[in-house]
Amino acid sequence: MANGTWRNARIRGGYQLPLAVLFVLAVAIVLIGKAQSSLFDRARAHVTDWIAPELAWAHRPFDWVSGWWADLGEAYSVYRENVRLKEENARLRQWQTAAVALEARVKRYQLLLHAVPDPALSTVLAKVIGRARRPFMETMILDAGRSSGVKPGEAVVDARGMIGRIFLAGDHTSWVIPLSDLSSRVPVIIEPSHARAILAGDNAKAPSLESLAQGATIAAGDQVLSSGDGGILPPGLPIGTVVAGGEGFRVALLADPALSQDVQVVEFKKPVEQPPQPSAGDLPISAAGLPPASAPAAQSLGAAASPAPAQPPNAVKAPPQQAAPGGTAPGDELDDQ
Amino acid sequence: MERVSAVMTSRIVASAIPATLAVLGTLIANMPVSFLGGIVPPPLLGLMPIYFWCLLRPDIMPPFWAFAVGLLEDLLSGGPPGVWAVAFIVTYAAIDRQRESFAGLAGFAAIVGFATAAAIACAAAYLVVALYYWRFPPLAPVMVELATTVLFYLPAAVLLGWIQRRIVGPSRGDF
Repeated sequence: MANGTWRNARIRGGYQLPLAVLFVLAVAIVLIGKAQSSLFDRARAHVTDWIAPELAWAHRPFDWVSGWWADLGEAYSVYRENVRLKEENARLRQWQTAAVALEARVKRYQLLLHAVPDPALSTVLAKVIGRARRPFMETMILDAGRSSGVKPGEAVVDARGMIGRIFLAGDHTSWVIPLSDLSSRVPVIIEPSHARAILAGDNAKAPSLESLAQGATIAAGDQVLSSGDGGILPPGLPIGTVVAGGEGFRVALLADPALSQDVQVVEFKKPVEQPPQPSAGDLPISAAGLPPASAPAAQSLGAAASPAPAQPPNAVKAPPQQAAPGGTAPGDELDDQ
Repeated sequence: MERVSAVMTSRIVASAIPATLAVLGTLIANMPVSFLGGIVPPPLLGLMPIYFWCLLRPDIMPPFWAFAVGLLEDLLSGGPPGVWAVAFIVTYAAIDRQRESFAGLAGFAAIVGFATAAAIACAAAYLVVALYYWRFPPLAPVMVELATTVLFYLPAAVLLGWIQRRIVGPSRGDF
């Protein structure tokens, strides 16, 4: 160990300036990262893509030991757990019957009311090949990336419920930020009161409910689902149940990121509504019964309506379908819907 | 002439060992695998060589390596960029200012010395993260990280001491 006999007086004091410079540089990196972290994220994604095959291979024995450790802890309570699960299974079968009947009824009502159907969800099945728990961040690494259609922001679920969101996607791997992470904010709805709130992670096991609407009444045991507000996450993903925690309410999550092995990345894209392309008849000047627009005005309209090669002056009188040859006019799409 | 060349090569290799160990420790600690299902966080293995050789041989462990290893820790751990770089630089500055006090410690006191340095690193990282997110994160995970790091330093100090005595130390010049 250090014994103080080294002659280090020569060095002492000589690092003041480099230390100050490096400190300023490190603080600058923090600030740049806060403003724009894409550079760092790209580097992370490249590193993970690079080590992904080795990671998948190295993860297996660790999973085995981790599973064995968890099994050891549960061995003492296996009988009691088995009895409880049998009772729960019997109850759930009753609920399943009720749910099937209700689902059919909801579909019938939707048909009767001409309700807009929920957008279809497609999923990408991925395997967890890495897991890290640091003091300020907990992450999972999946073996699916952009090449599989995974994009940042998408929800990650397992059989029990939502785990978190993709925050970084490389070519073949992606990083998941769990709901409990300090930087996680997810809009949720609490049933049966329909109260809306923000599920805010703070690195505790059970994230807290923030921004509850005034007058909202929720109680321990209420179900928490994703609300779909903002159009990034699909509505109705099961998240957890409300528990009373200190000053406010917290949510006991259904899924446990530490145990999930196979997960699904939910692709949710709300169709962007395209406004119909304006025709000459829609222009205020034509609607007012005045003569058609002059050539320069028509040219500028043509340039604004379509980035394609410049249209001749009379193109403004053409119907929208002809303005985009080979494609379907957005107005038609809307009509079809 | 050959002897001089061999001595020079051995010195270069020996002087690269501390930084290599710090980088290696960071890589190992940030392998996204866990024996215990993530119950215990990985220790700050990269900080150990920085502390050890910052005291003994600051000439081969300059502040640049504290910065670089901190940045690598940030890159691999997935947290906000720059947090551990700031933390390691602050720790290095603290050790640099109190080198005489830290270097005079031996035995259990030396472990306490490292615990102090690790506590400075964790506290600095905690403050940076609190400012970054503008809210205080829970203290417990940081305390567990600190405890794990100090526990791992017990065997690590033996290993680092052996490397210093057998490889790095003999190759030192007139320092």
